[in-house]
Amino acid sequence: MVVHDRSTTAGAILGVIAIVFLVGQQYSVLFGLFRFMSALVDQSGADIWICSNNTNNINASGTLPVRYTDRIAGLPEVEWVVPIVSSGGAIKLKDGKTQPVQVVGVPRPTLTGGPWRFAKGSIEVLLDYEGLTLDKLDLSNLGNPELGDIIEVSDRRVRLAGITQNVRGFQGTLIFTNLRKAREITKLPPDRASYFLIKAKSGQSISRLVQELKQVLPKAEAIPSAELARNTRLYYVVNTGIGSSFGFSVLVGALVGIVIVTLTLYTAVLNRQKDFAVLRAIGGRRRDILVIVFYQTLFIALAGVFLGFLLLASFLSGVRETNLPTGVILWIPPVHAFFTLIFSFLGALFAMRKAVKIEPASVFR
Amino acid sequence: MSTAVVRLQEIARDFFDGKQQRRVLQPITLDLFTQEMALIAGPSGSGKTTLLTIIGLILKPSSGKIFIGEREVSRDSENVKATLRLKKFGFVFQQADLIPGLNVMENILIAAAVQGQRVPSAVKKRAKDILGQFGLQAYAEARPQQLSMGQKQRVALVRALINDPVLLLCDEPTSALDVESSNIVLDSLKKLSADERRGVLMVTHDPRVFPYADRLIKLENGSVVFDSRRDKERGSDEENS
Repeated sequence: MVVHDRSTTAGAILGVIAIVFLVGQQYSVLFGLFRFMSALVDQSGADIWICSNNTNNINASGTLPVRYTDRIAGLPEVEWVVPIVSSGGAIKLKDGKTQPVQVVGVPRPTLTGGPWRFAKGSIEVLLDYEGLTLDKLDLSNLGNPELGDIIEVSDRRVRLAGITQNVRGFQGTLIFTNLRKAREITKLPPDRASYFLIKAKSGQSISRLVQELKQVLPKAEAIPSAELARNTRLYYVVNTGIGSSFGFSVLVGALVGIVIVTLTLYTAVLNRQKDFAVLRAIGGRRRDILVIVFYQTLFIALAGVFLGFLLLASFLSGVRETNLPTGVILWIPPVHAFFTLIFSFLGALFAMRKAVKIEPASVFR
Repeated sequence: MSTAVVRLQEIARDFFDGKQQRRVLQPITLDLFTQEMALIAGPSGSGKTTLLTIIGLILKPSSGKIFIGEREVSRDSENVKATLRLKKFGFVFQQADLIPGLNVMENILIAAAVQGQRVPSAVKKRAKDILGQFGLQAYAEARPQQLSMGQKQRVALVRALINDPVLLLCDEPTSALDVESSNIVLDSLKKLSADERRGVLMVTHDPRVFPYADRLIKLENGSVVFDSRRDKERGSDEENS
């Protein structure tokens, strides 16, 4: 069948490609969104975040007194601690309209917690009191401002000093400035901060430090960065319907592929019934027929997986610098490939069942 | 001297047509020999093909016993029967039924590899030799679609011979052939039946075939109504007595 029925083979391979591509692009977008959700935490370089009590995600903290800095820094296990500000603002466009943004203020001179990837400029631009960064992907939505342009954010004038590359948050535009300017923009008093970022000294136990911080700061939460990132992603997955939406899309992608593989392989076996009957008549056992269909399915599945991942890689490469968030976790593609093979064989089950049931006597009719 | 390769003892076959059980083959006792080209003839529905498929261990008889040599095989498992088909019988079907995705040589060799075996180089050489004997050496790489019906049927004959069977079972192999191709195939079968290690059994209602036969078995309504060998043996028995 593989050699002779090229259109059937192509159809079955297309089914496998559908499983790989439809499912793959869905989860890569989901992982891209995950990356955006917890980008601030993941890229902060901190081991522990101090948030206001009952914080379940990175965008939902209240404010904390700055005096906590001394209490935290006094712990012998702490390498450094910095306060940052993260709050909403509104950027004024050239046409007079405004657009909501998330303003992040990081402390000078370390600029810890600041942007991590630049298209133009570097993190040092935030040492300038008036300096601010925007992301390259947001520029067109914000009227294409250029470096050096004066921009108004929540009625405060700032200067576009750097352009970041793919530094975005789940809630949209992330703009970075220094702590003082961020407080001005967000109207946060000088003695308040949104979070404290903490780096533990090398070799110190993070969980023990978290326990100590909870004792020192009973009215705040001390959360390890990985846990805060996980909580943030979980919060959005559960509360926004993203999880069920993507899960459903993945399921539909897999089902579409399985249906295509099932129909094409089944049709192929139906079309080749006489060949299988001849093979049975001249001495083939049921298991020999099964082996033939198995190898055909394996060939189709492997070809489909290869081409599907090639297509997926092209897609991901094509959208890498666009607004579409994408991301891949290294262990996912092998698991995806494995399940695609399983799905392909699930699709081939009906064909296999039909093939082994073909009676050799039918060749004489 | 010819020897019995297959013996049928009181073989009968019933079919259930959805409403009732129908007996399509009455109890038949029959021996098939080497060095013999036997024909099973009879009108449509007389049970010719059913008998052929039972002899070829494809269809299970409802009652009776089948022996290959001295061994009873009718109760063997499906897998054992498949292996016996592979090793003892060669099949030639009405429409040749070559596999279109394979070339001529692959179509022949698949009969040696159908149970997943590696094909030894001796078998490949044998395939080339037999192809040469049938004047088809130039078509080894050709696809079945590129062959005439007569050529296809000769390839099917080579496929049937590749495992050196003791009995060639042919289901109306000339019915789709013109006179010239039919004569070539029948001449080939006749030569093959002259081998002391091999017999040929053919189902046909093509009268052109009758002159080639060493033995004629006539079936009507599932019963053997005439067997030239039996009648001959009876005749010589009567003469002796």
